[in-house]
Amino acid sequence: MALASGPPESRQTEPGVDPLLAAFLETRENLILFLAARVRSMATAEDLVQDLFLKVAALEPQAEVRAPKALLYRMASNLMVDHFRSVQRASRRDGQWRMDTRVTLAGLDVVSEPAADEALVEKQRARLLAEAVTALPPQMGRAFRLHKLEGLSQAEAAEAMGISRKMVEAHIAAAVKHLVQRLRT
Amino acid sequence: MTSPMENLVSRESQALAEAGVWIARLADEGVSGDDGLEFDAWLMAAPQNRAAYSQALVLCHEFDARAEAVLAELAPADPGQTVVPISVVRRRSPVRGWWAGVGGMAIAAGLAVAVLPAYLAGPTIATYATGKGQHQHIALADGSKLDLDAETKAVVSYSRGERRVALSDGQAIFDVTHDAARPFVVEAAGRQVRDLGTQFDVKAKSRELTVTVARGLVEVAGTSGRGVQLAPGQRLSIDKSGVGRLSAVDPAETFSWRLGRLVYRAQPLADVVADLNRQFVQQTEIADPAIAGLPITGVIVLDSPSAVMARLSLMLPIKAVPSDRALVLTRR
Repeated sequence: MALASGPPESRQTEPGVDPLLAAFLETRENLILFLAARVRSMATAEDLVQDLFLKVAALEPQAEVRAPKALLYRMASNLMVDHFRSVQRASRRDGQWRMDTRVTLAGLDVVSEPAADEALVEKQRARLLAEAVTALPPQMGRAFRLHKLEGLSQAEAAEAMGISRKMVEAHIAAAVKHLVQRLRT
Repeated sequence: MTSPMENLVSRESQALAEAGVWIARLADEGVSGDDGLEFDAWLMAAPQNRAAYSQALVLCHEFDARAEAVLAELAPADPGQTVVPISVVRRRSPVRGWWAGVGGMAIAAGLAVAVLPAYLAGPTIATYATGKGQHQHIALADGSKLDLDAETKAVVSYSRGERRVALSDGQAIFDVTHDAARPFVVEAAGRQVRDLGTQFDVKAKSRELTVTVARGLVEVAGTSGRGVQLAPGQRLSIDKSGVGRLSAVDPAETFSWRLGRLVYRAQPLADVVADLNRQFVQQTEIADPAIAGLPITGVIVLDSPSAVMARLSLMLPIKAVPSDRALVLTRR
């Protein structure tokens, strides 16, 4: 079965180890990469995979898991759904990050603004990124902007643009390729 | 025949194209465990796949982290944004005709406005409007920023001696660059809100006005001219009859709509529905008057009306039924 073919650099696992746990150790990095596209930061993806580890470790050792990898990816996608439901662990789209750095609470100017020279570098980099987005073909740029920058789901972006969701996905895929090629240093 | 070098280049380019497809697919809602298995197989199929995906991921995360800054750079010049200025009207000053022309070009290019002081040109008037479910971030020429909530119209007019924004029904957050020589005035609900270098939120609904201050000092003046000064954390609400009420609030809650969520403290369900109907094209309707007054306390993440109602129905005795024209709420 295809699932049995392990990664080329497969880690040695001791005999007798819970197959699910063994599969987790082999797949851990891939799981992080899997989640990171949606949760928008490596740190959050790593946190979620850590949660997954705790869940796996808490399960009774099951010799009978037929497709451990499939189970792991299913658990990972469920954890991601929970993550987006949970307001406490709000992602950037929910604004926690912006809330922390931008909004001032009562009192004086407590915004953690970067120092002037840092701000300049930040601004230049933001301008460079913006230029790369502007250089994309218009529809592609718009799809990327709505989904990636303004945080709309692909379905919402599709509705805003009057095209299909699949088309939005294709635009974003192409935009990512263009942007990487242009901004690669 | 292709050389090994060309082969390598095309393999990398192929891997990058596929990486883009995976990023796009995995970045959206509804990613399943099966997607994961397929992704895993692709990742393992060739070392350049992993490298290409990692590269694309790093860049996407950078866009995520800098989304706001990138949007600010894009906002003035991008014609493809969700909301476009519906008109830019220029009153030509006969004396400063030459400058006015230059200013007009600068606005058309969307670039030089920061370099060329706007007051050298005659008063510039731009109108911005948002529809249902649309938000708009506007970077003004003097560095001030404006965030428009859904269904809001703002007319921005900058002249030599004054910066003025007329806000029709709707809500906006103002982040104002202080300029003692050119006061920043917001006109809303027949009143004037005058700032002294600050960040504040104005909500105008027919004759009602709510002003919340996050930073700095704001003065709200009525038609009579006597003003009320607001400090950070203070909110002034003026009802239709002109009666004002001052309260202490957490400004972060008022400002949260910009971040795609709304915060409520014991407010009736009817208010939540009214706000949702401004935020989304899909409308929601309360079919049973008995549930309109149910108090809501909490943070509402603005993903979709049906998702919001699905979460609310976990806590409240309500049920959301989709119909042709709206999502209908009834008692459960």
